[in-house]
Amino acid sequence: MGASQTRSESVYQELMDKTGFSLEQIKNLKKRFLQLSGNEETISRENLDAIPALANNPIRKQIIEAFFDKRNQRSSEVGHLEEIGFEQFVMVMSHFRPPALRTSVEEREVMRKEKLQFLFNMHDTDNDGVITLVEYRKVVEELLSKSGAIGHEAARAIADAAMLEVASTNVPDMAPDDFYEGITFEHFEQILKGLEMESRMHIRFLDVDTSTMRCGKSTS
Amino acid sequence: MEDVWAGALWALRVWLYLIVGLIMIPAMFGFSLGISETYMNILVKTLEWATLKIQRANTVERTLNVSASNSLIQRGNGSMEKELGELRRSRPKPPVGGDFTFSDCFYFTLKGIESIVEDEVTQRFTSEELVSWNLLTRTNDFQYISLKLTLVYGLGIFVRYCILAPLRITLALIGLSWLVIGTSAVGFLPNSSVKSWLSEWVHVMCYRICARGLSATIHYHNRENIPKKGGICVANHTSPIDVVILCNDACYAMVGQIHGGLMGVLQRAMVRSCPHVWFERAEMKDRHLVTKRLTDHVNDKTKLPILIFPEGTCVNNTSVMMFKKGSFEIGATIYPVAIKYDPKFGDAFWNSSKYSMVSYLLRMMTSWALVCNVWYLPAMHQQEGEDAVQFANRVKSAIAHQGGLLDLQWDGGLKRAKVKETFKEQQQKEYSSMVVGDDSSSNSD
Repeated sequence: MGASQTRSESVYQELMDKTGFSLEQIKNLKKRFLQLSGNEETISRENLDAIPALANNPIRKQIIEAFFDKRNQRSSEVGHLEEIGFEQFVMVMSHFRPPALRTSVEEREVMRKEKLQFLFNMHDTDNDGVITLVEYRKVVEELLSKSGAIGHEAARAIADAAMLEVASTNVPDMAPDDFYEGITFEHFEQILKGLEMESRMHIRFLDVDTSTMRCGKSTS
Repeated sequence: MEDVWAGALWALRVWLYLIVGLIMIPAMFGFSLGISETYMNILVKTLEWATLKIQRANTVERTLNVSASNSLIQRGNGSMEKELGELRRSRPKPPVGGDFTFSDCFYFTLKGIESIVEDEVTQRFTSEELVSWNLLTRTNDFQYISLKLTLVYGLGIFVRYCILAPLRITLALIGLSWLVIGTSAVGFLPNSSVKSWLSEWVHVMCYRICARGLSATIHYHNRENIPKKGGICVANHTSPIDVVILCNDACYAMVGQIHGGLMGVLQRAMVRSCPHVWFERAEMKDRHLVTKRLTDHVNDKTKLPILIFPEGTCVNNTSVMMFKKGSFEIGATIYPVAIKYDPKFGDAFWNSSKYSMVSYLLRMMTSWALVCNVWYLPAMHQQEGEDAVQFANRVKSAIAHQGGLLDLQWDGGLKRAKVKETFKEQQQKEYSSMVVGDDSSSNSD
């Protein structure tokens, strides 16, 4: 291996351990990061906003915001960042990393919980650990058309009905006048218990299998 | 002191005579002495040798680069409905009042993350990645492999910056000034067939000198389809040099905005000898005026074919982006031309947000060479019942197919602007009709 190979590997080793990506995946993500940031050190919301393919996505604001949310950085901090560097970018991406060939049941559980936490954070915009009716309504409105088939009232009705359903499932003996604060993370996990996401909810990198390759300088 | 001056002057004279004799005269009369062919052969051999050296030393890097240049991730091919359906099937039961759950959010989140990791458009505005290194640090970063390679690289720098670049700059200056002088001189003649013949000759000659100034080797294919008078020639756009490449072979009338400064001088000189279509800045906004002037030019069968780049912006020569429909509404014969540069010898893409025109030209002049292929495609006409947009797409596909480029529907203007809100709303409408549509069957209210 040439000198450049080991150097980049050691720089990214920490990142590889923290996020579970392979060296090649990190290098590719780095190239992409530089592309998005215009060769700068950090990415701002505007950089992500400018991606044309993302414009189609109804919840694009929430997705972009998720990158700047401190809760997704696996620390116990809360709040929002203005700009993120490459490490933080990869940390957020790691929620969607492809599972390694040999993952134990516990590891799969951990990954599943991570993905659910990510989705929960996306809905819980005020960081209080609970998805309230107001927050839920916002997501429904974003997903459904603001202008077209579904009007404001209909979207609200759908959100309210779904919320009621969640409440009745999770707090079965709630009196009709009780105020349901919102969906906690436990409730959230409960709702999505049956959802099969392991095989679907990750980015499928087109990888070359580096484990079978031999590096080495042949005599030249 | 005197000797030094005399020596320098003598060297300069020899230099100029060499240039005139070996490069300009052949350029003016269109024959070749074979010097460039020899240069290209040596260059190709050197680059192949360098590539082999790197490949042997770096097996891992090479294979990884090959996979990276095509696509980063594998995306789901299913439509929105299919994927959402699969997600929902694994849920316990649908809630009343709209078949809407968090699982749908998951789908959109994943799609969003995929777009952030890789999207079709942003890729088109960075330079093409090369599988092997062509001894230019601007393409790939320098890696120390062996002493021999480093020496060759160092020699390459010396050759490119100290020998080739001054030569090319001199040629370019001569070519441009000759263009201005020649066309102004021809402009004094009265209108006649001699004048048009002379003007064509002056134009082609000057463009040939400029092409030598970039060490351009151009291969023209299918020359029987060359654009004729009274038509419109459309081509894919990679850099301002496209004009030089195309005009080396035939004469075109240009379309564009009048600039000030050096470009303005060139433009005003050129229009004296044969009619081009130059617009004032204010006139460009008025679409009807633009269309009318183009139509008038086209209808006059004695005028040269118009050259237009319908993409409207420079793209990195791996794909063809959306063609703007303006030139296809005129109803004239369209002659499509495909231009493909060979990235081994130098990257011709002008990233206008990264480099100014002058630094771009300097980069061009310090590359090894410019090799490109030009294919003339058979003429196309707008068919019955086909509107301008469909016609434009048909021409675009033909050009992309011939040049081996990817045919994209995205607008090149996305380089600078954002996608219109209407795209986002479309997706929202589709999704909401899914939700409401299911709702009408399960809702009890």
